[in-house]
Amino acid sequence: MTPRGTNQQMPVSTPVGESESMIEAIRQVVAERLNDLDGVVALRKAAAGVAPHLFRQGDDADGYIRLSELEIVPRYPLMTVVSKLHKTFPDVRLGVVARGCDERAYVEMAKREQIDPDRLTIIGFACTAEEAQGCYCAAPYPQQLAVGTPPPPGPANPLVAEYDAISPLPGLGEGSGVRAAISPLPGLGERSGVRAAISPLPGLGEGSGVRAAMSLDERRVFWKRQFVKCIKCYGCRNICPECFCEACAMEDAAWVEPGVLAPPFPVFHLIRAMHMASRCVACRQCELTCPAHIPLTVLYDLMRRDMETLLGYVPGADIAVQPPLSLTLTDAPLSPRPPFLPPPWGGAGGGEGSGVRAVRASAGH
Amino acid sequence: MSDNGADTLRPADKLRPFEPKIIGFLCRWCSYPGADLAGTSRIKYPPNLLPIRVMCSGRVSAEMVLRTFRAGADGVLVMGCHIGDCHYSSGNHRTAKRIPLLRNLLGYVGINPDRLRLAWVSAAEALRFVQVTTEFVEEIRELGPLSQEVTG
Repeated sequence: MTPRGTNQQMPVSTPVGESESMIEAIRQVVAERLNDLDGVVALRKAAAGVAPHLFRQGDDADGYIRLSELEIVPRYPLMTVVSKLHKTFPDVRLGVVARGCDERAYVEMAKREQIDPDRLTIIGFACTAEEAQGCYCAAPYPQQLAVGTPPPPGPANPLVAEYDAISPLPGLGEGSGVRAAISPLPGLGERSGVRAAISPLPGLGEGSGVRAAMSLDERRVFWKRQFVKCIKCYGCRNICPECFCEACAMEDAAWVEPGVLAPPFPVFHLIRAMHMASRCVACRQCELTCPAHIPLTVLYDLMRRDMETLLGYVPGADIAVQPPLSLTLTDAPLSPRPPFLPPPWGGAGGGEGSGVRAVRASAGH
Repeated sequence: MSDNGADTLRPADKLRPFEPKIIGFLCRWCSYPGADLAGTSRIKYPPNLLPIRVMCSGRVSAEMVLRTFRAGADGVLVMGCHIGDCHYSSGNHRTAKRIPLLRNLLGYVGINPDRLRLAWVSAAEALRFVQVTTEFVEEIRELGPLSQEVTG
């Protein structure tokens, strides 16, 4: 077993010199900030990898320089630790060594009163270009950048791009062999396996420059093959910095039948996806943690995108903007634009309020 | 998929034509009285709709809709007061945002989003209630049973 977080999917290998100088710079900033803070939360070398640690002024009085053991790799949901400390010690003023995703997590947690923004100082550093690529990260650096230079944003997740591909060509529907093109084996883990499970369409290879969107049937087959791998470990929820509800709907027998494994479709994963819509900050910890390698962030990315298109809300972007789902239409209006291109199922409309609009339109005749 | 789904049906069901099972979540202040008015006015609407009275359409959470599908509904119809008429002033504003998001999510995992519909029906709109319901039932009849999509 590799230690949690050092999952082989995450490219963490950065040029040694660069990453060493980066860590050294961060250590310096932390040492400075410790003069006026009660402590700084960061990762520290531990017996097996790293662990979150609260660095404090005077720690090193015994001659053991703990700050020299400060680490920044792998990514870790440090804001969860900060939240616990803030709640337990209502006066303590903390700093935290944070990446872009950590800062976004902090923003959403502060809005929901999990972290006190007045008692937290962000010591931000930029991810490497490789990390940004591996995470498909659109914003691989914090707004409060203290160390490092912003790398170019990573590419979009190719699985999300499948949803943007052109609608299925006529004749590629049921029984045309499209379903046969889906790999008979469930995408077993690696991203490459997942890609292989859906990418090949007959005559529409990588080289042709044409990709067909997944039909509803293909989507369902794909996701059911993913969800059936779920061992219901709740790891995705437990690692998530935004999952802090005291009563979790995914543990409520009213919504998720207990004792059913794989967890019931379409309930379990879709509840989480709905709850993530206004919260997910695309840190991808859930996907890295998932022992079944379910590409969870594809769903969450799509939901994030809908939030942006429908409601103009980007989780983690601005601490002053309240989550729109609990606001009125006056305070957070719905966009009249459809959230995406004509849906492949060709229905009356898959878009915003289309249920409402379709009915309204039909009321006339 | 359809081939697997058919196996789960009892043989007797195979002989019977498909009758959609629709659950309607009707708000207590507008849509439920609207449905009531349809009944007392002797206006016929399809018996496929099983109305469930909720205090507000904003009460209809994603969890409720998903469980309803899970429990075997072929379609879910959420009805509430028109925007501006909500008894709780902004309860249906939440519905107006939640349902489109959930429709999209259903589409992303391959469940036809047209199986979930949101409609505003006031207490006086008995005819509209009947029209929306009839339309929706016919639409779901064309889509076929959801069990084919979910349990297959």
